[in-house]
Amino acid sequence: MIYELFKTAISSIFANKLRTFLSVLGITIGIAAVIAVVSLGQGAGKSVQERISSLGSNIVMITPGKVGGTGGKIAEALGDILSEDDVENIAQFCPSVDSVTPVLQRQLNLQYGSANTLSTVIGVYPNVFQMLDLEIDRGRTLTWYDEGKRVCVIGNEVKEDLFGDDDPIGKTIYVVTPVGKQRMTVVGTLEPAGQLLMFRPDNAVILPFNTAKNRIFHTERLSLIMAQVASEDLTDQAIAEIDAYLFSQFKDEEKYKIISQEAILSTVNETVNILNLTLGGIAGISLLVGGIGIMNIMLVSVTERTREIGIRKAIGATNSSILAQFLIESVVITIVGGIIGIVLGIVVGRFVGKMMDLNIAITPMVILIAVGVSTVVGLFFGVFPAYKASKLNPVDALRYE
Amino acid sequence: MIKLVSVTKIYKMGTEEVRALDRVTLEVYPGEILVVMGPSGSGKSTLLHIMGCLDRPTSGHVYIDGKDVSRFNDRQLARVRNTMLGFVFQQFNLLPQLTALENVELPMVYAEVPRKKRLERAKELLTNFELADRMKHRPTQLSGGQQQRVAIARALANNPKVILADEPTGNLDTISGEIVIENLVRLNREKGMTVVVVTHDPEMAAIGHRVIHMRDGHMVKEEVGR
Repeated sequence: MIYELFKTAISSIFANKLRTFLSVLGITIGIAAVIAVVSLGQGAGKSVQERISSLGSNIVMITPGKVGGTGGKIAEALGDILSEDDVENIAQFCPSVDSVTPVLQRQLNLQYGSANTLSTVIGVYPNVFQMLDLEIDRGRTLTWYDEGKRVCVIGNEVKEDLFGDDDPIGKTIYVVTPVGKQRMTVVGTLEPAGQLLMFRPDNAVILPFNTAKNRIFHTERLSLIMAQVASEDLTDQAIAEIDAYLFSQFKDEEKYKIISQEAILSTVNETVNILNLTLGGIAGISLLVGGIGIMNIMLVSVTERTREIGIRKAIGATNSSILAQFLIESVVITIVGGIIGIVLGIVVGRFVGKMMDLNIAITPMVILIAVGVSTVVGLFFGVFPAYKASKLNPVDALRYE
Repeated sequence: MIKLVSVTKIYKMGTEEVRALDRVTLEVYPGEILVVMGPSGSGKSTLLHIMGCLDRPTSGHVYIDGKDVSRFNDRQLARVRNTMLGFVFQQFNLLPQLTALENVELPMVYAEVPRKKRLERAKELLTNFELADRMKHRPTQLSGGQQQRVAIARALANNPKVILADEPTGNLDTISGEIVIENLVRLNREKGMTVVVVTHDPEMAAIGHRVIHMRDGHMVKEEVGR
């Protein structure tokens, strides 16, 4: 019986090729849009997550908070709140923190001969190389003995921009500050590292902290403090310890912010998910429209075939077999549309992904959901026309011209 | 075989009520050919539809093989139409997208007869009606007479107790009509099939064991033929 019902459905689908094609198209476009959008969204999310987690999830950042911004008061970043003393105290009072460094950073111009480039100038303790897993390409890393000396390590983009193919080791570059140029000797270059949380080492110049403070920044105000937790599972504890110390110091939790890798990751995930849901939802609307198209076609089909329904009932078809016949027809249309849509969605996703230089993620889950959704669309939008067909009175249906 | 007891059927045409059948009591006896005649609008088709469980009476009772089908639900009625009754229509009413063979198979599909048995039976029936070489043809490729013979074969597929024919010769030329009449007579004579025919055709009326005349929803005359 089921076999015959399928046969009937297939043959009536083929009886009206153009019409079937158009209603299949509606579903195909809907499913393809959902798949392409969701897989691109997931691909984008994944690449952001990968970049962020390459920093290691055991890094905690402390930045100045901000105050005001309500009641006519202008919001103000508390640039003066974090000092080198805090760095020392965190190292001392927070046992879960392994190493810690103050960070001064600013966008400044660099010069070498006639070449110049805009880069992020960073002043840190030498332990930053180990904390952020920064690998030396040529020359050497910075050490505590370099503190106060005019030396620097440059990122690979800075090296490219200023030196091209020349060897930069031992060369002197100038950091252009608002109050004059500062001479620095390059002692090392970095391997490409990609985007890290707060900056791109590729485009950075790393100076010993005291050199940076005294010669370039001329301030005690830290941009931020970076701490490394002894091990990943101690992150929460470390945050609690740092928070306890900072709160005892400033008596106001609005004055500072503690950002952990995990917190950022979960924020990013949330954002990506919301983005995916929104985009997927918009694409889903086209699926809904496709479904309505199917319902429309099935209603027309039921009306057109009223007489056929009457004949079938006269020779013994039950209401449920008529219902099944029309339901199978609409589900077959949507499943066919869904399968074509999946293929099309993957192709489009890949193509757009290539153009945008994104690795798209097509998970089995996405495909499963797409198939499920198209079946449900077929059932949902097929039920009403099929029910209408099944409830026709045999005599009225037979008389229908 | 079929018994109607005080059957009334009222149609609503907009606000007006049309009394298509008015307290009709009638019995169809096993093995007879009953011919129903009457002008159009007399209620004869409605009578056939109610006997055939295609429609429900507004009041009264219909018994088929002793069972009160006026109390049956849709599913049970479908079962009665499928297994106990066979319909032959003026318009043939074959499904155009199916071949002759598939059309004859269809009632057996709904009766869930196994595929092989179904095919055998359908071929046998079509052969009996001299359509062996037309099995793979679709209705549009057949003449009216051939189509009506396919329809009779289809009506017989599940070995029904009664054949209900609604002006079966109405759309046929004389010769094809005669062949259809012969076939119905032969079925009655050889297999003892009960046949109810609604017709205008006097030639058709001549084969009836009994002929009843309808007018305005009433049975007005009953003749015993032959």
